[in-house]
Amino acid sequence: MTRFPENFETSLIAAAPHGVNLTTSTDDHGVSVMWCELADRDDLSAVGECLRSYHARLAMVTANKPPAPEEEEEEHDEEDEGAAEAEAHLPEQSMSFGGTPQDGTSYELVYHFDVGGDYVNVVAFLPAGGSIASLTPLFRSADWPEREIMEIYSVTIANHPDPRRLFLDESIEGAVLDRLIPFSQMANASTSDELWARVMAAAKEA
Amino acid sequence: MTEHTVASSYKIPVGPLHVALEEPMYFRVSVKGETIENVELNAGHVHRGVEYLATKRTLLQNMILTERICSLCSNSHPEALAMAAETIGAVEVPERAQYLRVIAGEVKRVASHLFNVGILAHLVGFEALFMHAMQVREVAQDLKEAVYGNRMDLGAHCLGGTRCDMDDEAIAFMRTALDKIEPDVRELEKTYRTNGSILRRTRGIGILTHEDAIACGVVGPVARASDIQYDVRTAAPYHVYDRLPVEVPVLDGCDVWSRAMIRLQEAINSIEILRVCLDHLPDGPINEGGDPYIPPGQAIARTEAPRGELVYYLKTNDNPEPERLKWRVPSYPNWDALTFMLKDAKVADIAIIVNSIDPCISCTER
Repeated sequence: MTRFPENFETSLIAAAPHGVNLTTSTDDHGVSVMWCELADRDDLSAVGECLRSYHARLAMVTANKPPAPEEEEEEHDEEDEGAAEAEAHLPEQSMSFGGTPQDGTSYELVYHFDVGGDYVNVVAFLPAGGSIASLTPLFRSADWPEREIMEIYSVTIANHPDPRRLFLDESIEGAVLDRLIPFSQMANASTSDELWARVMAAAKEA
Repeated sequence: MTEHTVASSYKIPVGPLHVALEEPMYFRVSVKGETIENVELNAGHVHRGVEYLATKRTLLQNMILTERICSLCSNSHPEALAMAAETIGAVEVPERAQYLRVIAGEVKRVASHLFNVGILAHLVGFEALFMHAMQVREVAQDLKEAVYGNRMDLGAHCLGGTRCDMDDEAIAFMRTALDKIEPDVRELEKTYRTNGSILRRTRGIGILTHEDAIACGVVGPVARASDIQYDVRTAAPYHVYDRLPVEVPVLDGCDVWSRAMIRLQEAINSIEILRVCLDHLPDGPINEGGDPYIPPGQAIARTEAPRGELVYYLKTNDNPEPERLKWRVPSYPNWDALTFMLKDAKVADIAIIVNSIDPCISCTER
């Protein structure tokens, strides 16, 4: 028994014609959390409209770049060899719901909505270089989270009304969470002679 | 005679370092005379990449990392993180620990709210009231120091329960402190409700209408002062809040004064909640002992921090470090509301209005 309004699930399913994967759990206090994975990220705006009609509040947007699943160690003995060989011919790529390859280059975006105290988490999957529609025209509170996602990952949010940087300065190269930045470089402590060269150059100019 | 042409509007910078701001935020304010026409926020001055660091640390290390995100809600961060991990691991938190978590949170709420209304008095220029509010808050700070060993109740929580227990002596000390603080907080509430100096500077200032508040998705006292009845403690009860006398005060003044009154009323209610907790504190263990195993999974957890709803999203995999840890602090949506509050306000009221959302910048930018 959840507190979600009647027909809530059916309207969500109807809003996403490409399909959704719904799981709901309710805790001892009667508070429900719903996870709603979208088969196709193009359904996001329609699902957003649907949630808006239920007076949902967009609380947070999480972007994540799941790592590629670790290669299974071949632990099969000789007797299993035949089966293992057969498996090797099958595509080993693991896929998200809706068929986005989970190879460490794709993203998942989770939109966390509050619906009368319960939470609905809409999950959209994006392949590398993919883009997704902005929810800012529907939910003003999507503005900052979407701008933040655009500066920390190479994710394109299409039709964002104001796609400026949020926290990072324009002079910093974007997609900071997509790149390996050595700690020494980040902390300005790399043991190069770069700083020394700059000091010497400045001294010469003076 | 020469004609002087005077520009009709100016842009003035407020911040990033400004006497009235405790932390760096840069407002580009367009003014026409004394009246604000438009405000642009420029954030990022204390962006530290804590979300990245969180994925390089184990859950246990993250309990310590997250309580250092913010000074005033340092208790709520590890609390929400622990709740998310406990949901994934289906960890049962002992009842005594649930009460102790409520106690830690409510002591914090009293101290945090008194600090904010104290600063309001300071910005109004009522220094005697500022010092009085801070003196009352000092009792709550002493309380935290006595129970948790530090003035910010750091280290109160652990995965699966709490780290700090309260013995009879601590309980008696807390009761005495609550008896001492309650009449003072009630007196403060009366002063803020009736004092002319406070009322003149705060009534009808920094208006955030009910509709704008819903559009911005604001939370906490800012939302409740704009007639939005939302408090995580009652909307999505956690710990033992469904057994406690939680009151959710709501006002429709939509101004700076209403926000201050909500905070003072909540502080009084927190004292009541604390007393009930001390009366009903059950015996038993306060944690499982050792760190619980958290399997792969994902969960969302929410707490009502002093500034409003704090949301944590945790995704774990087979590694001891989380695959993703994301949180949204109550200040994050509240910043946006400032563009509405500051519209058509007077330049002299900027600091008072900014303070009324009780902003936390180190929280927002992480």
